[in-house]
Amino acid sequence: MSPSRFAILPLVLILAACGPEPVPSTLELRPVTLLLGYRPDVQFAPFYVAQQEGFYADAGLDVTIEHRQAPDVQRLVADGQAEFGVADATDVMIARTSGIPIRYVSTLYRSFPVALIGPGDVVPADPSGLAGLSIGTPGRFGSSWHALLALLDAGGLAEADVEIREYPQFNQVDGLANGDVDLITGFRNNEPLRLEERIGAVGILTVDDAAPLPGPGVIAGDELLAGDPDLVRAFIAATAAAQAAVIDDPALGFAAAEVAVPTIGEEPEVARAILDATVDLWAGDGFESGAIDEALWRAGYETMQRLGFIDGSVPLEEMIAPLEP
Amino acid sequence: MRRFGAAVVSLVVFLLAWKVVVLLGDYPDYILPAPEAVVERGIRAVQSGVLWEHTAATLIEVVLGFGLGASVAIVVGTALGKSILIERALSPYIVAAQAVPILALAPLLDIWFGGGLLARVAICALIVFFPIAIATMVGIRSTDPLLDEMLRSLGATAPQRTRLLEIPSALPVIFGGLRVGVTLAVIGAVVAEWAGARTGLGVLVLIANQGLFDTELMFVALATLAIIGLVFYGLVVLVERRLVSR
Repeated sequence: MSPSRFAILPLVLILAACGPEPVPSTLELRPVTLLLGYRPDVQFAPFYVAQQEGFYADAGLDVTIEHRQAPDVQRLVADGQAEFGVADATDVMIARTSGIPIRYVSTLYRSFPVALIGPGDVVPADPSGLAGLSIGTPGRFGSSWHALLALLDAGGLAEADVEIREYPQFNQVDGLANGDVDLITGFRNNEPLRLEERIGAVGILTVDDAAPLPGPGVIAGDELLAGDPDLVRAFIAATAAAQAAVIDDPALGFAAAEVAVPTIGEEPEVARAILDATVDLWAGDGFESGAIDEALWRAGYETMQRLGFIDGSVPLEEMIAPLEP
Repeated sequence: MRRFGAAVVSLVVFLLAWKVVVLLGDYPDYILPAPEAVVERGIRAVQSGVLWEHTAATLIEVVLGFGLGASVAIVVGTALGKSILIERALSPYIVAAQAVPILALAPLLDIWFGGGLLARVAICALIVFFPIAIATMVGIRSTDPLLDEMLRSLGATAPQRTRLLEIPSALPVIFGGLRVGVTLAVIGAVVAEWAGARTGLGVLVLIANQGLFDTELMFVALATLAIIGLVFYGLVVLVERRLVSR
């Protein structure tokens, strides 16, 4: 530093001392990482709203949102490389049974988002009508597979009673539009909207009516839950508040998604319709933002055990952590 | 015997290094399982029959995909090497096909070919094609012009020159392409399975990783793929030693 710079240093210090009170910076907030198991999408609007509209900051949190591959979310959260993640409840049951120390701490979807989808005149009224149909699904894993087997089970059918075709790249919509399969597994808030443009009237067979399963939610690691439950409470309360705000005013969620989702401008009307359909799935009957429906979890746990996805060695109580405010 | 000993020592060093990384990093099994945990899981997968079911499917795809891809590539590569006109006409398409990420194209190929084994063999063959075709073209062009002139002076026809001179002299380069191609065939089979399959080691990786959260089983599948690659590479080297005089 030159002598002249030394000369102005006291002046700089005096001016700094006379300045206004320092504004609280993000450095004072607790840095937290949230992992979402899908690319940026309008369905994550509550998190974008919480981040952009100050819900997290008001809770003392500086949340960084990262988008990852779905199965990595559970592992990274369990390992403490991220504090929170969003995961399918059915995957949480399997991961926990496999020894991955995570728990489901807050509900995002009151209704199970995966359903069987197809032409309106092909989709049966109840699961027993699935016999003999060909069904496209990403593979023998994930919530789509769980939903499919739960529906077959509810209809008194076995896997051999239908013809299953795998689409691991999640392009089962193309398979259906191409006429390769009769029905597909898909997300009720997404695939029907995209299919209607290609095949006309679309029908849906939901899991909720036949074989209830808990939907996706927020997960946290055992270590964080034991060491800092207040942080978990603060995060889920802020997220639930932001989700409630989006349910009240979907336009708020869409505006936040416009900032966070680079591709939203390509099909804004489709994205808006997806958000509206997603809001319906969040709310559902008896909805209470963030709350865990233990009766639904118990029914889902029994279904998953009956289907052989879990062996019951890890009790339900070790899979969820309903935190009192 | 010395070569076998070196391979064993190399394997032991690799396993020890893996174990040290796990210990020093204090990684849980679901992030990085220890080698003995993977071996133990592999034994269970063999005993249950799961590993063989998926391995057999991948082996069929690798053999058929490599066989088809290599056969077509040698024929096309020979044509490219012998005719500048054919090279100018076809090479833009061949290079463009190679530049397109097969991972993006595979789901469409799966639908176009109606799924099933045919689709997977086609995807595998497509990945194998490029290095072998280019190696064959380069090999054909490296034929000694003096020997070619000699055969012409003896009245050899074009097919005779190809059979007696060009192909034999191109063999070392062609086998270089085959060595690359056979390892790519294993990758091609996995990519094809990821585009749509019920069985195969690529499917087992997906199920273990995304369905069962069984990291040890995923490592078992990956290790089996590596072994398949090594075995097929070794077979190509063996055939090369039999056919190519040094």
